Amino acid sequence: MKPRKVPTPGWNFEYLMWLFTRISGAAMLLLALIGFVGALIMGARYHMDLGTLMRWTFFPNPNHVLNSDIPDIAPWANAYWQIMQLLLVFFGATHGFNGLRLVLEEYIHSWGWQLALRLVLMILWLITLGAGFFLVLTS
Amino acid sequence: MQVTLKIFRYNPETDKKPHYETYKVEAEPTDRVLDLLEKVKGEQDGTLTFRRSCAHGVCGSDAMRINGMNRLACKVLVKDLGTDHITIEPLLGLPTVKDLVVDMEPFFEHYRSVKPFFINNDPPPQKERLQSPEERARFDDTTKCILCAACTTSCPSFWLDGQYVGPAAIVNAHRFIFDSRDQGAEERLKILADQFGVFRCHTIFNCTLACPREIQITKAIGEVRKAIATGRLD
Ligand code: FES
Repeated sequence: MKPRKVPTPGWNFEYLMWLFTRISGAAMLLLALIGFVGALIMGARYHMDLGTLMRWTFFPNPNHVLNSDIPDIAPWANAYWQIMQLLLVFFGATHGFNGLRLVLEEYIHSWGWQLALRLVLMILWLITLGAGFFLVLTS
Repeated sequence: MQVTLKIFRYNPETDKKPHYETYKVEAEPTDRVLDLLEKVKGEQDGTLTFRRSCAHGVCGSDAMRINGMNRLACKVLVKDLGTDHITIEPLLGLPTVKDLVVDMEPFFEHYRSVKPFFINNDPPPQKERLQSPEERARFDDTTKCILCAACTTSCPSFWLDGQYVGPAAIVNAHRFIFDSRDQGAEERLKILADQFGVFRCHTIFNCTLACPREIQITKAIGEVRKAIATGRLD
């Protein structure tokens, strides 16, 4: 009997995005937890309400949160937290826009419209990423 | 006991919109829902239309929504439903032709798209193509499919606009992909790796719950996905 042939696994877009959705979902939870614990360690225990804590969790940058009441914000202003934020922005935006792409493909039947709207999504995704990265890196 | 049946009715020739009709029938707890439908058709309203054939859960003709779940009317007993009010509606996601009869063509179109037949271009051996019991067991579960469409029409990914190939087609592809005698795995996996293939499955498990043959459908979909991801068929 001949050995059975299977397509070599490779750069299959649908598979990669499927994998990415799972990985980024888990990664965002982990990153949020790190930001959350970080905020607590850096003194957020006494001064913050839930909303402020959430802002620190999902966007841990002192310059974006004006009155967080964290006594010492210096520890936040370093490359480690910047990388954390960049990752969160990247995972969040890509995860979200890929979800929108799926919704769009599932509801829009016409091939032309699908292509056009995918293009719009792609541009919006890039703008979102650009704006997020700009904010994180320049503040 | 007396059972109240609320049945979805639609006659495209006379009705603008579908409506529900209520019938009261005498039933034994051990009657099947199909028996009640037959009773209504035979004794109360001959215009009621539904598909059935074997009446024993083998042909897959009479999948319908019974109290919100996709079931074979010939496999559900009145006592299993735990109520004397039974709502019967056609399958979702396929166009209703009349009353409980849906147009199965979109379903079969997806089924055909995965090449659900044996592919092997080697000259056939003298006697038969041999296979070990283990090799046979590998795809045993997915040989049980009767193409009733209960799974595919319970799947939200399929409801959207029917582009998703659907659990039933994947189950039938799985049956051949993991058959050691078949050589069409490559073609089929390529088809299923496509935009509306296995990666549209959101692991909702509706299909597994709906299957009257208790096929582990979501597991089969996972195995096909794994074969695409790893390029291996074990
Ligand atoms: S009538 Fe054949 S499966 Fe129910």
